Amino acid sequence: MSIPRDPNPSAIADVTAATRGAEAAARQGPLSWAGPRLAAVLLGAACVAWSAAPTRPGGWPAIALTIAIVAVTAGGLRLALADVPESEDSYLLSGWERTWRNFLALLRTVPWEELALLAVVWLEVLHPARPWYTAALGAGLTAYLLITHIAESGADPAVLLGRHAKVLALGACLLALGAGFAMIPAAGPGAGASLLRVLAALAVIAAAALVIPA
Amino acid sequence: MIKIAHIERSVATADPDAVPAAAAQTLGPSIAAAAEETDVRWRPSRHARRLLTLAGAGLLLALVTRRPELAGLAAPALLILGAGRVTHGALPGRLGFRTGLTSTRIYEGEPAAVDVVVSVPASAGTGTGGAASADGFDARWVFEPGRGVEPGSATAANGHAVRFTFSIDRWGKRKLGTATVTLHDRWRLAEARVALTLPTIDCYPSPAIQRTEVVLSKLPNRLGEHRSRVPGDGTEFTGVREYVPGDRQRAINWPASTRLGRLQVNTFAAERSQDVVLLVDATSDVGEPGRSALDLGLRGAAGAAKAYLAGRDRVGVVAYQWGGAHWLAPSLGRRQFYRIVDALLQSDTGFARGAGISRLPRAALPPGALVVAFSPLLDGRFVEALRDMRERGFTLIVVDVLNVGPPRRRGFADNAARRIWNLEQQAIRFSLRELGVPVVAWDGVTALDLPLAPYTRRPLVTRR
Repeated sequence: MSIPRDPNPSAIADVTAATRGAEAAARQGPLSWAGPRLAAVLLGAACVAWSAAPTRPGGWPAIALTIAIVAVTAGGLRLALADVPESEDSYLLSGWERTWRNFLALLRTVPWEELALLAVVWLEVLHPARPWYTAALGAGLTAYLLITHIAESGADPAVLLGRHAKVLALGACLLALGAGFAMIPAAGPGAGASLLRVLAALAVIAAAALVIPA
Repeated sequence: MIKIAHIERSVATADPDAVPAAAAQTLGPSIAAAAEETDVRWRPSRHARRLLTLAGAGLLLALVTRRPELAGLAAPALLILGAGRVTHGALPGRLGFRTGLTSTRIYEGEPAAVDVVVSVPASAGTGTGGAASADGFDARWVFEPGRGVEPGSATAANGHAVRFTFSIDRWGKRKLGTATVTLHDRWRLAEARVALTLPTIDCYPSPAIQRTEVVLSKLPNRLGEHRSRVPGDGTEFTGVREYVPGDRQRAINWPASTRLGRLQVNTFAAERSQDVVLLVDATSDVGEPGRSALDLGLRGAAGAAKAYLAGRDRVGVVAYQWGGAHWLAPSLGRRQFYRIVDALLQSDTGFARGAGISRLPRAALPPGALVVAFSPLLDGRFVEALRDMRERGFTLIVVDVLNVGPPRRRGFADNAARRIWNLEQQAIRFSLRELGVPVVAWDGVTALDLPLAPYTRRPLVTRR
């Protein structure tokens, strides 16, 4: 005897169950779980290496590099352990359990990606002007942020990148333009010429932002 | 009833051991359980904060160091933030959430599903005053199952309408838990979070298998399906006798009449029903959860109720608890089965006020009823109640659901205590048998027919 159902159940439409289920299963396999997380760590590491090379002696670069490495590693760990639940009981925990709980809380509370960004940009500033290198770093950092977001939110990468395609293309052009401005020989000696180039780059970015399609 | 609209749903299927997507879909449409509208507060997402950090750092350092390439570094982040700002005004300030269950009542271990749907109500306004639509945002659901609820699929899924499958391993009224939805705008720069409390579901004890019935030798004068000893209008042939005026012509046995030279008629046994009262001892719940004495008692009672109701008997239930008993008068039909199981679910509540067995009304324990008791026989007062009922003339069968004993230990005192306990248990069962109350042991795994076989083969003699 089965439990009788409501005689007139309201319906959520029967979608093409098998195909949708198979798609979902294929998309949510272990590779799709690990892929974005691994990509985020690798991109983060690449950005750190790109901004650090060639290594410069001195205290500030070493500090910035250390912060960048720690932040990228911690960010990767946070993504890897995102699905680990915190124990509900907070009393009568053993030392190991309490340490693990604090470690998880530390990983999830500190904005590691922001720290990594600041450290990497600071590392880049500490190097002599390399306009195309900086443009490539900008592309890498943007990719790092996007893939980190995909990994932590479970968003469909194709959909997300599809929506961002136009803006990202425009951003790439502006990156190249920024590097191009930096490579234009200064009109004359002095600080005024370089400041003018910066302002010109900012004006181009502002103009681009204003004409973005809604 | 609230109609859940025709919206595509996605099924969470990340767990390889989970109910497959196709199986989840075969659970059928859901019954609307709850609907609510909630104000939503959109905040900058973590992604937006990171982009802002990159843009801010790039611009600031570009101005400080006068390096235009650093301004270019900030450009992609600024563009994404700008695009998100443009569409931010179209986000709805109020959203509707609906919850549906494929079934509000399930058996232990039976898969079921809960559907959660987010939609934009017609009255929802936007920041720009325009019409909001569900296309303007994405939703990610996370299912946090309640106590005793085992998720059968992944506990996180994307989509405006999502189905989470689950099962419950032990009977009771269970809170399903919560579903938290995180909403993102299409640029994923603004997010909102809403936590929905999922409805409660009744999990029925899985009924034991029982195909045969214990039938009393003396049945009340009520039409039923059990063959009685008295002649009547049933279908079971009992003999031939001489015709007397008033007998129906169709009952004449022509071969016998021809042979004897006088009219002979066939006689048949009357078919009667009986009253069955299931007595569940909820005073002791010993053993491993899921296989405890109370679990076995409830499963056995549910199986017996099913079997006797299928045989057109009137079945009632009395749940005996600390402090009293609650009861359901015998009745017929399929609906009675669910009333009985609902009454059994109240055994979960522990202490219950009410009258003792001796004070139960006549309706709860009709005279001449067959009483089937499911008990571990650990509570002396319950055993006394059984003796009392036997002395009042009820015909009883006790199904012993005790499957655990005191733990084995090495100490002499422990061993002695264990032996004394065993002897005491044997004495209780012996005293009941001496009173004419059969006691059969049931392990909860085999069908109930097996321990009851000696009593289902022939009518149980009613002795007063």
